[in-house]
Amino acid sequence: MSTLAATMRRLSFSRELVLLGVLIVLVLVMSLLSPLFFTLGNLLNTSRFFVEVGLMALGMTLIIITGGIDLSVGSNLGLSSVAVGFTFAAGLPLPLAILFGLVVGTAAGLFNGLFITLLELHPLVVTLGTFALFQGLAYGVTGAEAVSNFPAWFAYFGQAYFGPIPGQLFVFVVAVAVVWLILSRTRFGRYVYAIGNNEEAARFSGVPIRRVKIALYSGIGLLVGMAAVIYTSRVSTARGDSGLGLELAVISAVVLGGASIYGGSGTIAGTVLGVLIIATLQNGLILAGVPSTWQLFVLGVLLLVAVFLNEFFRQKEE
Amino acid sequence: MTEARASAERGAGDAVVRRFLVRPEAPALAFLVVLLVAFTLANDRFLTASNLESIVDSVAVLGVIALAVNQVILCGEIDISTGSMLGLCAIAAGAVALSTGGLLLPLLAGVAVGALAGALNGALVTLGRIPAIIVTLGMLYALRGVILLVTGGTWITGVPEATRFLGTGKLLGISVPVIILFALFLVMELVNRHSTWGRNVFAVGGNRLAARFAGLPVNRVRFLAFALVGVFVGIASLIYLGRAGSVQTNTGVGLELQAVAAVVIGGTRISGGRGSALAALTGAVLIGVILNGLVLLGVPGIWQQAVLGALILLAVATDVLRRRLVGDKS
Repeated sequence: MSTLAATMRRLSFSRELVLLGVLIVLVLVMSLLSPLFFTLGNLLNTSRFFVEVGLMALGMTLIIITGGIDLSVGSNLGLSSVAVGFTFAAGLPLPLAILFGLVVGTAAGLFNGLFITLLELHPLVVTLGTFALFQGLAYGVTGAEAVSNFPAWFAYFGQAYFGPIPGQLFVFVVAVAVVWLILSRTRFGRYVYAIGNNEEAARFSGVPIRRVKIALYSGIGLLVGMAAVIYTSRVSTARGDSGLGLELAVISAVVLGGASIYGGSGTIAGTVLGVLIIATLQNGLILAGVPSTWQLFVLGVLLLVAVFLNEFFRQKEE
Repeated sequence: MTEARASAERGAGDAVVRRFLVRPEAPALAFLVVLLVAFTLANDRFLTASNLESIVDSVAVLGVIALAVNQVILCGEIDISTGSMLGLCAIAAGAVALSTGGLLLPLLAGVAVGALAGALNGALVTLGRIPAIIVTLGMLYALRGVILLVTGGTWITGVPEATRFLGTGKLLGISVPVIILFALFLVMELVNRHSTWGRNVFAVGGNRLAARFAGLPVNRVRFLAFALVGVFVGIASLIYLGRAGSVQTNTGVGLELQAVAAVVIGGTRISGGRGSALAALTGAVLIGVILNGLVLLGVPGIWQQAVLGALILLAVATDVLRRRLVGDKS
């Protein structure tokens, strides 16, 4: 009996449960606003749009847990997308072009990681610089043009359905499982939390901080590369300005999911819920006939409210 | 006797050189001089009064904003919402200009909207205890959303001539944007040297905990820095309005990055506590000279963004390497 009460008390403080409640309420409100919303077809269709943000949010969760941030993910998505499209247009076989896109994404992340660790600079200023650099390279290399004559089978990555389920949903589920395992079941995952809680103490305890950080920023680069392939396939176009502003949705999802922007806390379950809430909100707003111009405003305000509530409740808990 | 005096003079000369070299904006100034010489040698039309004036003219909006963002960065904070803020201020000023004309009312409208947005940033950072990067990233998109909402996607055109004075006018043969930029630069230099708030900005950015223990009003100092950005963006919006004569929904996109770049390239340390108003001015002019030089060299405009990003990274890397070389721990 007392253990049950204790469990109940613990559950009521669980951030993930609160988020789940928010998600359910949101789904209910959206269903009332639009009869089209709560249909299996629409819900599954929504998932086609959040996988890209979701993949990047997984990597961003780990980075934010270490107390870092990566503002360059949106620009990197454009650069990787362009890397796929333009090497293909230049005559490279498509499988190799896709591989090249993944390599470019990872290399861009590795560049961030090396710059941050070797010069001991704050990730904020480095990724602000690479935000402009990657986007500028994507524009410059392509001459602000687009590639879109992909062969039919390329659509497989972003438009395929298995029964009613979009193909990229499987990619996302696997990625969630892998990142969750890494974060909660490996030594590397413990290092990530240790760095975020107290970097100095972690260093004196023998945590290989540089290697962990380089791995994290390269890792998010790989996830961005995957998101870029899916995105390019979904819209059948490679352009330099793909992914413009996506960093806002990604960071919002992670922070909404309960990761502290100051580092040290955050979970994959929370982030997945954060991604779902943002996707539901965006999809619901569109179905309810709210102009897309509202979306930027809503996302921006959502980010501010999420961080504020997060830090407010964290202070209460402590 | 004369030898002693000569060596003393040499010593004084060395001291002047050393005092210059330890200044934060020294590398950027040196780089600016090298670039000016190089462009002058490459193109004999570069070093003319009219070309130099047009370069400074073209970075006046950026420079005015950079002078204020400089104060925020000196505090150890950051503001990346200035691009959308400029758009919003320009729309407010433009709308007032269309209905009333004149210069004073549009200017007041632009500055008021800017001050309001800046104060909101400051309040969220200090009272809300949200990190500045998150606040201003959220505001960057939220304000752009507000712009789209209030304009409904339409442009403001046909701004009356009287309102455009701050962008296109001339006083004593010098263009008004240049005068405004240098006047505000002088004001900020004086504020940083001689006002309590100016000194506090450096103290808070250098070591916030020590500043708090010393009894400084840390939150008020940071709040005022964010509010100042709003006011300066409001002034800059009138320069913009004057130069462009119209406002679009994408006015100011990307400017937030240029402003941070100008400050950091100029030599103000991104982590705060060290820098000067001269650094922000130097950085803004340097960006203007580089973009102007790229055009002269025939580099397509689409490479601008990449150059800007590379410059930010180069500037912060140089600062770290320079500090490691001289063993500066500060």
